Amino acid sequence: MKMTLMATKTSIWQWPTLSGRPPLLAVLGPLGVVLLLVVSANLVEFSFMHIIRSGRPFIDFMQNLLVMPDWVFMPQLLTKMLETVEITLLATAIALVISFPLGILAAKNASPCPLIFNVTRNLLSVIRSLPELVWALVFVSALGLGPLPGVMALAVVTVGFMGKFFAESIEVVGENAVEGIQAHGANRLQVIWYSMLPQAMPDFIGSLLYILDHNLRAAAILGLVGAGGIGYDMVMSMRLFNYNRIILIVMSIYLLVTLLDRLSVRLRMKLIHGQAREALQ
Amino acid sequence: MTSDTLPPKPKRFLWIWLLFAALVLILIARNLEINFTTLIWGYQDIIEYFSRYGRPDFSEWRHYSALMLQTIAIAFWGTVLAFAIGFALAPFASLALTPGKISHQTARETLNFLRAVPDLMLALIFVSSIGLGPLPGILALGFHTGGFLGKFFSESLDCVPHGKYDAIAAVGANFPQRVMFAGWPSVMRETAGYTLYIFDRNVRMSSVLGLVGAGGIGLELHDTLRLFNYNQATALILFLIGTIFSIDYLSTFVRSKLK
Amino acid sequence: MAIIEINDVSKTYPNGCSALDSICLSIEEGQFVAIIGPSGSGKTTLIRLMNGLEPATKGCVVVDNLKVCKHHLRKIRSRVGMVFQHFNLVDQLNVMTNVLSGRLSRRHWLPSMLYLFHKTDYAAATEALRRVELLGKAWTRADKLSGGQQQRAGVARALAQEPKMILADEPVASLDPVIGRGIIKLLKEISERDGITVVANLHQVKMVRQFADRVIGLHNGRIVFDGSPSRLDDAALHRIYYGVTNENDLNGNKDQHLAVAYP
Repeated sequence: MKMTLMATKTSIWQWPTLSGRPPLLAVLGPLGVVLLLVVSANLVEFSFMHIIRSGRPFIDFMQNLLVMPDWVFMPQLLTKMLETVEITLLATAIALVISFPLGILAAKNASPCPLIFNVTRNLLSVIRSLPELVWALVFVSALGLGPLPGVMALAVVTVGFMGKFFAESIEVVGENAVEGIQAHGANRLQVIWYSMLPQAMPDFIGSLLYILDHNLRAAAILGLVGAGGIGYDMVMSMRLFNYNRIILIVMSIYLLVTLLDRLSVRLRMKLIHGQAREALQ
Repeated sequence: MTSDTLPPKPKRFLWIWLLFAALVLILIARNLEINFTTLIWGYQDIIEYFSRYGRPDFSEWRHYSALMLQTIAIAFWGTVLAFAIGFALAPFASLALTPGKISHQTARETLNFLRAVPDLMLALIFVSSIGLGPLPGILALGFHTGGFLGKFFSESLDCVPHGKYDAIAAVGANFPQRVMFAGWPSVMRETAGYTLYIFDRNVRMSSVLGLVGAGGIGLELHDTLRLFNYNQATALILFLIGTIFSIDYLSTFVRSKLK
Repeated sequence: MAIIEINDVSKTYPNGCSALDSICLSIEEGQFVAIIGPSGSGKTTLIRLMNGLEPATKGCVVVDNLKVCKHHLRKIRSRVGMVFQHFNLVDQLNVMTNVLSGRLSRRHWLPSMLYLFHKTDYAAATEALRRVELLGKAWTRADKLSGGQQQRAGVARALAQEPKMILADEPVASLDPVIGRGIIKLLKEISERDGITVVANLHQVKMVRQFADRVIGLHNGRIVFDGSPSRLDDAALHRIYYGVTNENDLNGNKDQHLAVAYP
């Protein structure tokens, strides 16, 4: 066997490849990224001077935030936070109801015919393509200000995501259970209801928790365009440099989102354990 | 001794929970002063409203394309920043690799904070402090999604079989060496997948960052609707849908290849 | 010169489980030591104490004149190689990189982060691969290798360290008997030729008898046998695997037990 495995190079430091040079992908990847960054630099108005000069004003802003919160604002804050939570729950609930049948139609193995499958699947994709705020803009323009356009916007986008998740959960159910029921002469609807849905449920509930998490954050900003929630107060206090309100709003959003985060982790644990316990019985 | 009768059926509380949920929802609708019935009866108005979106005006398509490209560029820069943050913090936030308890807790809490604050809010803060333009948008996206990537990365690092970490520790490797030789190589696929997912998400978010002055197509859309310029608004929306739809499709395609 | 000294060491896990109880052990340089015992006897814990993968709850371990503590870990681990039951190679990296990772204790983190290694590292790794007869697979991804080849790569990784001793935690438990025997033979050859101390957890008594210089039997966290394999008779095996109190079965079926139980 040859003692030297690599191309004889005079360099002391080498990479662990046959040629001693780093693998092509490992070089092209980062290089490609850097290239794209350079190419798009003036598109994003990138300038080192700007970044360096931004340091001071940012620190000043942060320092200004270290003020006493505006406790007088509390009642209004709590009302708005509650409104944000309500928008989240209502929108998610409505979306849940609508995406249930749509998800079934968008699942390849549960859909009645390829045409409906394709139409539904693509419809859901299109709905998802627009961010919640854009939908909110459209609905506010139609219905005026208030929480209703916010609920509708959030619900529509959630249908897009939930429908997709649900369809995907149905598509990965085990074939065996389905065949079992089919062999007993069940019709299409019964097959879906009794064998596909129960298997798809756990995954679906898991994705539901992710969606709630996401929707709470989305609901918090809907007020930006007048669609209800804390978003409007947030923008206003920023514009007016009302630091003692800003700090209160930022803290309360952080607390609320973290609370929901911890709750959903616990719920997910319970779900996994509950399944395990049932499996043992 | 076996009994002759079936064991009692376990109580199903599901229906009670559903009823409770329905009640809560009705209360919420009341509180928000939302009346769905007026919505349903006003369906003619709704149809008329949406018909205004029927005649898209693409005359400004060059301008829109430039804005859309800027939107994508902002998302790209933001994702690169997010990747850098995730790459730097994830090993500390990973229970299996972390060198010490303090760095672990600090990294985790930092990532949690970055995730909790909505990126639009971060964008507002940056715009208020640094000024208008794409830079605050990039920073907002980068920091917020950096929190997500950091969490995703640290979770996949934790899922690597611990034997591999034992082996690299047993040769006397220090923290950075353990991370580079047993950590990242084992999770390369998931890392790429998560990053693509975040890029996808960032393109969506970047399109609305303009609403707070952080660059991109958002402001244009807001203005056209504000001025009831429905034809142009439709064109913009179609641009948006087209772009996001394609990027979504590409991203899903590449991610499925990674599996 | 004792290369490993274990002084009155006990190990209790946070869940209350006591793995080792007042172990005193001294291992000379150049020996091939086999540790045997039933599962749960503390074999793995004992071996992991020797390179600090498991910290002792009480007592101290001294390896090559260095006390096993946080301060000395890197130094100690650079002199102690380890081979694992499940090989523990990084699947996505090629064999050469896996073997080179044995040299990380000598390298600063900066070049390592870029996966750069020194000429001397490559020389050591190549020599190690030659010893385990895996040169042809140097550039293959680790997960494309068979079980036996992966374990040989693991041994090469330990060899690349140029260690003073090699620990082996059930190195052949996941391999078929023929391949496993080859690995133990390899370890024995390394021990004899290079004077490297080998401490191996094994449960194949036949191999222990054939290759070990010294056998340590553990039962319930205590050493119940310590001597040359020639003294490892059935009575001793019974003591190791069943404990001192159960020498005679209640019904007096002593011989039957012995015939059936041992690997």
